[in-house]
Amino acid sequence: MSRGENSNFLSRALFFGILEIGLVIILFGRMYYLQIFEGSRYHLLAEGNRIFSRPLVPLRGQIYDRNGNVLVENETSFRLLLLVDKKKDIESTLAAIEEVITLSSEEKEEILKKVVKKHSIDAIVVKDGLTWEEVSAIELHATDLPGISLEVGARRHYPLLSKGAHVLGYVASPSEKEEEEDPTLAIPGLKMGKVGLEKYLDQRLRGTPGYRAFEVNARRKIVRDLNQNESLSGEDIHLTLDGRLQKYASEVLSEYESASAVVLDIQSGEILALVSIPSFDPNLFPLGISHHDWGELRDNPYVPMTNKAISGLYPPGSTIKMFVALAALEAGIIDKKTTVHCPGYFYVGDHPFHCWKKHGHGSINVSNAISESCDVFFYEIAKRVGIDRLSATFKMVGLGEGGLEGFPHCKKGLVPTKEWKKDKKNANWTLSDTIMTSIGQGYMQASPLELAVVIARLVGGKKVIPHLEGRENPSFENLGFNPEHLELIKEAMANTTNSPLGTAFFGRIQQEGKEMGGKTGTSQVRRITLEQRRAGQTKTNHLAWKYREHGLFVGYAPIHNPRYAIAVVVEHGGGPRGAIQAARDILLKAQLLEEESK
Amino acid sequence: MMDPRIFHKLFQLNWGIISLVFLISAIGWGLLISAGGGDAHIWAFKQMMRFGIGLGIMFVIALTDLRWWLRFSYVFYGLSFLLLCAVEVMGFIGMGAQRWIDLYVLQLQPSELMKIALIMALARYFHSQSQPISLSKLIPPLLLVLMPTFLVLKQPDLGTAMVLLMSGGALFFLAGVSLWAFGAALVVAGASIPLLWTFLHDYQKQRIFMFFDPSQDTHGAGYHITQSKIALGSGGFWGKGYMQGTQAYLNFIPEKQTDFIFTLLCEEWGFLGGSVLILLYSLLILLCSRVALTTQNDFGRYVVSGITMTFFLYMFINIAMVMGLLPVVGIPLPLVSYGGTAMLTLLMGFGFILNVGLHQTLKVPRLSIGIL
Repeated sequence: MSRGENSNFLSRALFFGILEIGLVIILFGRMYYLQIFEGSRYHLLAEGNRIFSRPLVPLRGQIYDRNGNVLVENETSFRLLLLVDKKKDIESTLAAIEEVITLSSEEKEEILKKVVKKHSIDAIVVKDGLTWEEVSAIELHATDLPGISLEVGARRHYPLLSKGAHVLGYVASPSEKEEEEDPTLAIPGLKMGKVGLEKYLDQRLRGTPGYRAFEVNARRKIVRDLNQNESLSGEDIHLTLDGRLQKYASEVLSEYESASAVVLDIQSGEILALVSIPSFDPNLFPLGISHHDWGELRDNPYVPMTNKAISGLYPPGSTIKMFVALAALEAGIIDKKTTVHCPGYFYVGDHPFHCWKKHGHGSINVSNAISESCDVFFYEIAKRVGIDRLSATFKMVGLGEGGLEGFPHCKKGLVPTKEWKKDKKNANWTLSDTIMTSIGQGYMQASPLELAVVIARLVGGKKVIPHLEGRENPSFENLGFNPEHLELIKEAMANTTNSPLGTAFFGRIQQEGKEMGGKTGTSQVRRITLEQRRAGQTKTNHLAWKYREHGLFVGYAPIHNPRYAIAVVVEHGGGPRGAIQAARDILLKAQLLEEESK
Repeated sequence: MMDPRIFHKLFQLNWGIISLVFLISAIGWGLLISAGGGDAHIWAFKQMMRFGIGLGIMFVIALTDLRWWLRFSYVFYGLSFLLLCAVEVMGFIGMGAQRWIDLYVLQLQPSELMKIALIMALARYFHSQSQPISLSKLIPPLLLVLMPTFLVLKQPDLGTAMVLLMSGGALFFLAGVSLWAFGAALVVAGASIPLLWTFLHDYQKQRIFMFFDPSQDTHGAGYHITQSKIALGSGGFWGKGYMQGTQAYLNFIPEKQTDFIFTLLCEEWGFLGGSVLILLYSLLILLCSRVALTTQNDFGRYVVSGITMTFFLYMFINIAMVMGLLPVVGIPLPLVSYGGTAMLTLLMGFGFILNVGLHQTLKVPRLSIGIL
């Protein structure tokens, strides 16, 4: 073998070779020692070795009203967690737990269902919202209960109880389906917004989960914490709602079986109160509602779980008449002096449409037609204006908009057009349709929120957008209506309540400077048949509750420098009387509260 | 058209080495799939892609002319050194230590490149010296070793600094530096230990403390060693079976896909699996050493022995470390641990070994002292 110049290389390389062989033998020796000689000892150690790591539930943001009063808060609560290791011993563990605290069969069923879903090692919530007795009982028996741990958490509490339930919503544990769609929800003890603001603002309220890793021994007792990442609390939310007004409005409307109301700030579009009756206690939900309670809520014929203020759609009835008048005034078809003769009926072909006043209003102008709610006047001018211009004006003021974009269950009303009828009913628009539309019957539908918004826009002349959050004063675009026309209609609305001939005179606000203006409405649930009319029956008061007409009232206050817009619907009220009284009380209260704050 | 000589050269490559490199890497992929809980997307696929790229580079290096590399070895060293300095300037903090340069496509670890560059530079230097080497001629190569070692130590990367120092020392030894000089160096090194100690970060000092008494603290540094030993020991002779390693799955083993992957192997495949891997490594080292012994030019011999020594050091330090024989210093298991630059440098290194193997009988002239 020929070689390079370095003659030492071979011997020195040999030295390295022997060294390397020696080192490799050491590796083998060590491996033999660990795996064969000490193997069974390490095997036992490995068996006992268990690390649980699990996400921590972040603290949900709290919700405050416009005055900084808390509407949704977190209360300290304890929950019992079980670290599920091997599925087989879950039954005996549960039996041991049951000797200490009681678990309902529903709760046990829920736990077993969760265990099946979990991976080999995880924590599940056995019971949330433990009482002090339960906490101390568990602590006393902790050593007999393998795998359990007590965790301090927060329980959602709604101090308004049923009085803010619909708008605020509630939280509850995610359903199986929700957890499948979003695995980040599968945190033991995490609650998510299910409805209302809790759902609408869920992402912001929820916060970011932290993380905790800890080592447990063979008996699943925590030996020590390995590391912990604190979770980040969710955002606190400040609403435009006034808790006091919300509460008061709920109390006022509680007189009725089924009703709803919305109060808006005319200038800013801030929603001050949003009420739906009957209601429910949202505090039933965070810890899981019982089958019994849920059954009662579900089977109640007055649908307490539905937020009627935003998802109840009603024929707006006569509350729409101001906008028919506005369309006619803006189109130049009438002015304030134009009169129409009302004999009490109006013929389309040979079909009569009646005025609510059997013998008619005689010759009547637009202002009195609004305050006295003459139907024939509006039949006549609607005929002249035509459905195209009517529906355009309705849409312009916000009918059919819904109001709260993205809010759970916020529904949009309906403004019928020729195209709509052709499309949906496959029929041509008729004059009768226009006549029905002019008094807010027929196809017309609106939610109480939409009705409050259209009043705010009519009175303020600006395109306000209703909202529940954010206190900065937004600037809204002008709707471009002639201010004189708006003034005329507002005056007519003021007369509705304040002139002795007005349809709502009896329900006026009598305090000087706090007077309200408004418009009544009734919407037929069932048409009055010809025979009934012949028999002299034009009212439905004595019919069974569910066949009675809905009573509506839309209004604003005070009549000088208006600040508040309101819409009230009393379902099957048999007429607007109840709605008028409720609106009066709420509008007066709003003004008194404002004075109080000053 | 491709040069037909290329095919001839390909045929002549040391396919034994190539097969072993592939086999060991493939074992690594299997382990990475297990470390990812059965999901190859987490680590294994990426590692395979890197292996593919590295393999290409390996073949290119293997088929080039050895003399060309001799010529450019100082330039290679200089560039690596500049990159290493650049880490100091613009490198960002990765895992608390400055080791990476972000090249947007991959994060480059210049200390990895330096391992090869240092060997090349030293090989060229010693290749150009006539025997015996006088003491004064040892100053330039000493600087070649110490400058990058100091920078790497400062990053701080104790493991890589040790490997640079040890593989550099091995080349000094193989180059025929007199044993007296080594004795003197050991004395100097012993005297400078207190000085070096002050350079170490707290966590490095802690790891060394923990090495001597791991039971003292089972939470921090010692915790890793203890857990690694438990996992490894619990594998027994046959192991717990592929993907059945509870300790790795439960995250008892830190960095199970990188530095502690040998623990995963031993937990799942037992003493048997660990032995097979060590034997494969040994065989690979044996084949490489044979190339060094049968090569007739000094440059080639030095390059091959240097790279082989580095490879051995990696293998030994990593396995000894996870078994609690050496402190935890952050050395990956070669070809198996998850990591981009380590894989690329290793395959580059094997490229050079194959290259020398092809040119064993080549006469390589000495170069003058200049840079090129």
